[in-house]
Amino acid sequence: MSYPPVGENTLGLLAEVRASRSLVGGARRLVRPENPHRASLGTAFIGIGASLVCGIRAIYGFSWFVSYWPEYPNPVPALAAWILLIVVLATAFVTASIVGDRLPDWMFSVFLALLATVIVLDIVAIWELHDVGRYATASLTAAMSLLLVITLRRPSEILISIGVIGAGLLTVMLVNTRLTTDNASAQITSLAFAVLPVVIGVMIVRGFRSMVQVELDRVLVQSTVSAPRFAVGMLASEELARLDLAAEELLDSVATGRIALPLRPKTASVAASLATELRLHLIEGRRETWLYHAITESELLGRSVTLVDRGSLAGLLDANQRDGLLAAVWLLVNDHAKKTTVRTVQVSVGPIVATAPVALNHKLKVPVVITTTGVQRNRVDPSTWDAIRRVGRYSDSSQNASLRVEIECFVDNPADL
Amino acid sequence: MDHILKERDRLLQGTARIYGLGFAGVALLCLLVPDAVAPATYLPLVPLFVALVFAQYRIGLSRSYLWILLEVLSVLGIVVSISALNPGGLTPAALSAIAQLTAASLASVALVLATDRVRIGALVGIFVVVTVVTVWLTADSRSPIATAGLLFLGWSLAAVTGIWISAGVPQAARRIASIGRAHRAERQASEIEAQRRQSARLLHDTVLATLTLLAHSGVGVAPAALQQQSADDAKLLRQLRLGATPTPLSSGGYNLEPVEETVLGTTLESVKQRFGRMGLEVSWHGTGQVLLPSDVLDAFLLALAECLENVRRHSGVREAHVTIVDDATTVRAMITDAGVGFILDDVDSARLGFKESVVARLKEVGGHARLFSEPGSGTTVVLEVPR
Repeated sequence: MSYPPVGENTLGLLAEVRASRSLVGGARRLVRPENPHRASLGTAFIGIGASLVCGIRAIYGFSWFVSYWPEYPNPVPALAAWILLIVVLATAFVTASIVGDRLPDWMFSVFLALLATVIVLDIVAIWELHDVGRYATASLTAAMSLLLVITLRRPSEILISIGVIGAGLLTVMLVNTRLTTDNASAQITSLAFAVLPVVIGVMIVRGFRSMVQVELDRVLVQSTVSAPRFAVGMLASEELARLDLAAEELLDSVATGRIALPLRPKTASVAASLATELRLHLIEGRRETWLYHAITESELLGRSVTLVDRGSLAGLLDANQRDGLLAAVWLLVNDHAKKTTVRTVQVSVGPIVATAPVALNHKLKVPVVITTTGVQRNRVDPSTWDAIRRVGRYSDSSQNASLRVEIECFVDNPADL
Repeated sequence: MDHILKERDRLLQGTARIYGLGFAGVALLCLLVPDAVAPATYLPLVPLFVALVFAQYRIGLSRSYLWILLEVLSVLGIVVSISALNPGGLTPAALSAIAQLTAASLASVALVLATDRVRIGALVGIFVVVTVVTVWLTADSRSPIATAGLLFLGWSLAAVTGIWISAGVPQAARRIASIGRAHRAERQASEIEAQRRQSARLLHDTVLATLTLLAHSGVGVAPAALQQQSADDAKLLRQLRLGATPTPLSSGGYNLEPVEETVLGTTLESVKQRFGRMGLEVSWHGTGQVLLPSDVLDAFLLALAECLENVRRHSGVREAHVTIVDDATTVRAMITDAGVGFILDDVDSARLGFKESVVARLKEVGGHARLFSEPGSGTTVVLEVPR
């Protein structure tokens, strides 16, 4: 019988448990990069759009090829290049919709090799004309057809591929074409038209993915809004079940004599750690509020938001107030164009302020203070104020050139419920 | 939905910026080809390019029409300057630069204008104006049909990209929302399951007691008794795992009747016996018969047992005194030993399990605990719970 190594330190164990909570259950699995269903969150659609753009480009390129037909010294290689390219594009489009999320390495290699063949054939056909920028057709479309696999491979791989193709085309242009005032601009524009769309496409896909990621994070955290006043995190029951099972196995081994009494020090320390963890889970588990879970479970909030809520008063907020507070914190952390500047937000809830005379409906007054760093007051998104208004009446000020909001939040007295 | 629309706009704006700046750079390269334009042309081009770059940079940050207007005006200004200052016909380089600016760089505004009807209307208007002006100004050097075709191609590529991204976002948002719903259900299920396991408190208390014995290698307890106790607890855990919520009647030295009110005395006796087996002699003083609600009793006994466990482990003596007194409102237990004691500040109370097992438990039922100790003169813990 073997047990996973467990730390001796009670508080260390606590930290481990907390850390593991940031990766949450089933739905969170969908977000992980290795998951095959990730492309279905809209990127497949973006991939089809990229193919469409590529198709328009191919028609444009082909019409130039037709108009240059009489000028080719030997049009056969160029025609072969176009036939091959059309076959490759059609196959790649069909394959992309079948393989789903990720193109296997060998398929990607074959795809790149075929594109290289197309480029070589096209260059061979126009070599004698000595103006690559003007006469290249299939090769430029081939470079741009990396757009077809833009959602199926890592951005770095696409960028490296287009970089190599671009450098290759540039070299051919420099070797083959004597640059003059009249033909230099054609070389520049042809090269740019082959390379830039792919670079922009990579940027779009990357931006789209991060947008989906952020939105998923927000939606997953949003479920805390309907949580009870004190809640266990998503992992708590899994953890408890795991600990119960480990305890059962240990006790069973002792009962059946598989583990001899008195216990060896190692097994004894396993028992001690199990007891400590169980105790923590049973007693401390329900001390945390929805807000704590929201912050720890979110990748985005977890990084930059700290919560001070000694009395666990956040649990008293109703669903609308919670929604507002979460949205406000979210907007403060996420809503800015420059992702490089570090924004931090501290939310402190409580302590309860005695109101005299007694507030309407015997409500309790809980002050909520949002302190930030790196958030300029005039840069705050207007919808943040709407969100804060849903929590309660607020007043805002600047502290160390950053926003500070004090909210007067009225909540139902739990004693009245 | 609002959030993701904002994210979508940010994505489109960022893309428009890169798109515009990239092709503006290409146009600039074309203009830098020697003899591309008459030297005097560069004079108005420099400020116009600065304005263009600034407008494109701002489009990345703001949805305002102002920057789009500035971008359109600077591109048209560049086209007008080039054609006005090169009356003898445009070079291929100048034509390329104009094509890059009007059909690609300026077309990037289609990305941010493709999101709703009003903006698409503005997009069509801008496209018509730019096409008419460009075709008219370059008619001498290139056929109007070629120019218009190129512009149409460039603008439709950008518009398709913008519309496509805009259409992809609601799709993704719907899928994400359904994942969110699934997650909420999962969270509720997790909450219920955790509640079920946590509410099996009596069970866990006996398991914890046994685990604590095992943590001390089971020294001082008869192996047969410990094996019996382990077997009972393993059985209870198995029942819990299989879906039942077992309420153990007794386990080892415990007596765990799940009744509303239990007489303290009967269970105190079992605690005493349990520690007796482990080699700690407990002397009881004061009241032995107090009625307590079962949850208060649980907390009280657990806290008491935990304190005795600490005496057994840390005090160095084999005898402890427990005095229980009660009045109209509270029941109070005083656990005293004459052991080594400690300096309160030196020992992290969390390490003794004091905070979790004693303080937190009592607090849950409205009670509290106080700890007194001094090196060399023993330790006293006072536990209080309301009746």
